[in-house]
Amino acid sequence: MARPLDPLGFEDEMCPVCKSRKYLNPDIVFVFNPECYHSMCLNCANRLFNDGPNQCPHAGCNKTLRRKGFRSAFFGDLAVEREVDIRRRVAAVFNQVEDDFETLQDYNNYLQMVEDLTFELVNGTDERRRQAEAQLQAWEAEHRADIERNKKAGREADEISRKRLAAERDAVRQRRIEAIKEAEAEKRERVRSREMELDNLAKGTTAMTAEPATKVQLKRRGQVNRVAETASNPTIATTGMGTGASEVERLSIRGLKEKPKAPAPQGPYDPFGGMDFAPCRYKLHGGLSHPLMEKYRLDRQHVAGGYSFDDFAARALYEAFAGLGVFVEDEKEVGSGIGLSQETSMAAGIAAVGDADKMDLD
Amino acid sequence: MASEDARYRETSQFQAWSFSPAQLAAMREKTNAIARQRIAERMLASASNPPTSNNTSHANTPDPSGHGTPNPTENSTPTLPDFLKPEEEALLVSFYVSELLRAADHLGVPDEVRATATVFFRRFFLTNSIMTYPPQEMILVALFVGSKAEGRFPRIIEFQQKFNTKQDILAGEFLLCQGNRFNFEVRHPFRALMGATMELRSYGDIDEQRIIAAEKRAHEILLFSPLMTDAYFHYTPSQIMFAALSLADRGLAERLIQETFHFVPPTTNNDNTPAVTPLPGLENPGIGRKEGGSKGITTNDERAAIVGPGIRDKVMGTIEACRNMLSTELPERKSHWTSESIFKSQIRPVRKKLTKCRDPDRWNLSELQRQRREAGVRRADSEERPAASNGAKDAAIFGGDLSADAPEKKRRKVDGNGLEDPFGGPL
Repeated sequence: MARPLDPLGFEDEMCPVCKSRKYLNPDIVFVFNPECYHSMCLNCANRLFNDGPNQCPHAGCNKTLRRKGFRSAFFGDLAVEREVDIRRRVAAVFNQVEDDFETLQDYNNYLQMVEDLTFELVNGTDERRRQAEAQLQAWEAEHRADIERNKKAGREADEISRKRLAAERDAVRQRRIEAIKEAEAEKRERVRSREMELDNLAKGTTAMTAEPATKVQLKRRGQVNRVAETASNPTIATTGMGTGASEVERLSIRGLKEKPKAPAPQGPYDPFGGMDFAPCRYKLHGGLSHPLMEKYRLDRQHVAGGYSFDDFAARALYEAFAGLGVFVEDEKEVGSGIGLSQETSMAAGIAAVGDADKMDLD
Repeated sequence: MASEDARYRETSQFQAWSFSPAQLAAMREKTNAIARQRIAERMLASASNPPTSNNTSHANTPDPSGHGTPNPTENSTPTLPDFLKPEEEALLVSFYVSELLRAADHLGVPDEVRATATVFFRRFFLTNSIMTYPPQEMILVALFVGSKAEGRFPRIIEFQQKFNTKQDILAGEFLLCQGNRFNFEVRHPFRALMGATMELRSYGDIDEQRIIAAEKRAHEILLFSPLMTDAYFHYTPSQIMFAALSLADRGLAERLIQETFHFVPPTTNNDNTPAVTPLPGLENPGIGRKEGGSKGITTNDERAAIVGPGIRDKVMGTIEACRNMLSTELPERKSHWTSESIFKSQIRPVRKKLTKCRDPDRWNLSELQRQRREAGVRRADSEERPAASNGAKDAAIFGGDLSADAPEKKRRKVDGNGLEDPFGGPL
């Protein structure tokens, strides 16, 4: 009667002798004797068989058992335990390997024979069991040498495989250790290089410009130089830090002097790119007036809106004189501006047969 | 170089739309020649098709027998018409400009809009022939785009109502913009005139009425004369303004020039007024040459180059030339262009000629726009579906596209690929 938490029913197992259960006696241990495969609790076994051999207390079983024979079961089901014991015994006798046989068929026949024997031993009636047992004994006696040889071979094979496995496991472990070591080394290296950079920054010398190039090279060349580098670094770092304020000061001053000056100032940014807006031919002054301008000076809308009459005057005068000195005939003949053919062909492209796409503004 | 001149040189009007007379004439010739050739091709192409449909639906290569040879088997125009000569084209352009100005008067637009529209119109027909696009329609288009360019945004309905027309003005809009190479800023002499009179007034010793009268007359001139001539192509707005002023009142213009180009190189070592105080009474000899002008110009040579006598003479020469050009088309000539007799004798024959030799494909602007839109859509579609049409096989066999827009595509091939140029391929 298995409960949900005890599917195999171990807790229900009762010692047939003292009728105690795990429920009532949690420390109970069951043992059995391979003679008859009957189990009982350890206390009972001790009590019953301490003083010498005694009869098995199970009803109907009259085998004489000794205290020595009792052992605890590996399998919960004693039937399985019994079968396993039998198979162990049989395997100890019939221990031939496939390589010992000429053909697979022979090997299979051998296996079949062994299995039949085992079955008879496990499940046969008493009569057959005794027969099988006898066969087993006969075989053993007959093939003792072979058995011995096979056993040894088996042992050696086991040894080899065991060694191989151990070696593999070792290798894996070794690799892991190495990887960890390398990671740590890199971390240390990084920290060291950063400190070195900081030191160089503090010094602020041309070493900084040389540094990246050499740094790259060092990385490529491998461990040796890096070790050398890191070996030298601590010295620099320590000297940098060790000498204290004076050296720091000196370093910084030295750095200031040696640092290349910023490129010569180009002056304030000129959004007009050098174009000059101051008039050349005229001067803007307050005396400029025009009747229209005066009219609008009195117009409330213009004045309130913030219209700048000076702006208008400036623009008007600019337009009056802009281009006065530009002589189109001369300049266009000479060719400043766009050339004639280019002009015509480009401008003539209006009546483009071509791309209807261009027509589409959508 | 004077800073004002430097700034003027940056404008598109100077860089792209200023020419010497020789260049201008050459351009007109070239435009005319190209147009003739293209129109001839197109006429022959459409002539060998059924004359009923405007959009030809079959692809036929142009008559391989050449341009001028008549094809007796055709039943439409067998020979090529007489094409306009460049002079006739120029005459027509001037006529249509006067029409444009009349239309502008009718609309009542400000001065700048008038002038800008006219300049757009002129520029457009500088690089496109009158035979190719209908000038009558382009007038309204120019007025519309001109208004937009000058900051007034009219309604199309307004236009159509005022001129009682159903013309699709928007059809030619993009064309006009392309023709102007998208240079929308046109500088005019009107504000310059105001500036000049302001300057004159500030001299203090000129009669106010004289100034006002001169300004009025000059303004009148500026509204007509430079637009009817090629002045905008050859002279800067400042020079045009001075020319107009000199036409109105020569004395004032000369006075202004004298005052501006006052600098005398110091070989004579006296009476050069370094500071440009326009009040003539103040002469400060030898007060350092701190001019209110450009940063750091102090050398005499530079100042001479800007406001010295040499440049003054040159400027005066240019103004004189411009004045001559303007005087060919004084405002009094307005009546000339609108007179019935002139129209009958000079303009009408040319117009008759024009109706025969106009470009069959491009005369109808809205049709043209529609075709182009469709072709564009079709091309976009065909790009998406590379070889899905039934006609693909036939096309492969017959070596050409048999779809309805074939003529368009064929002509595109003939005319070459102007795909790189944002302003389109050549005519």
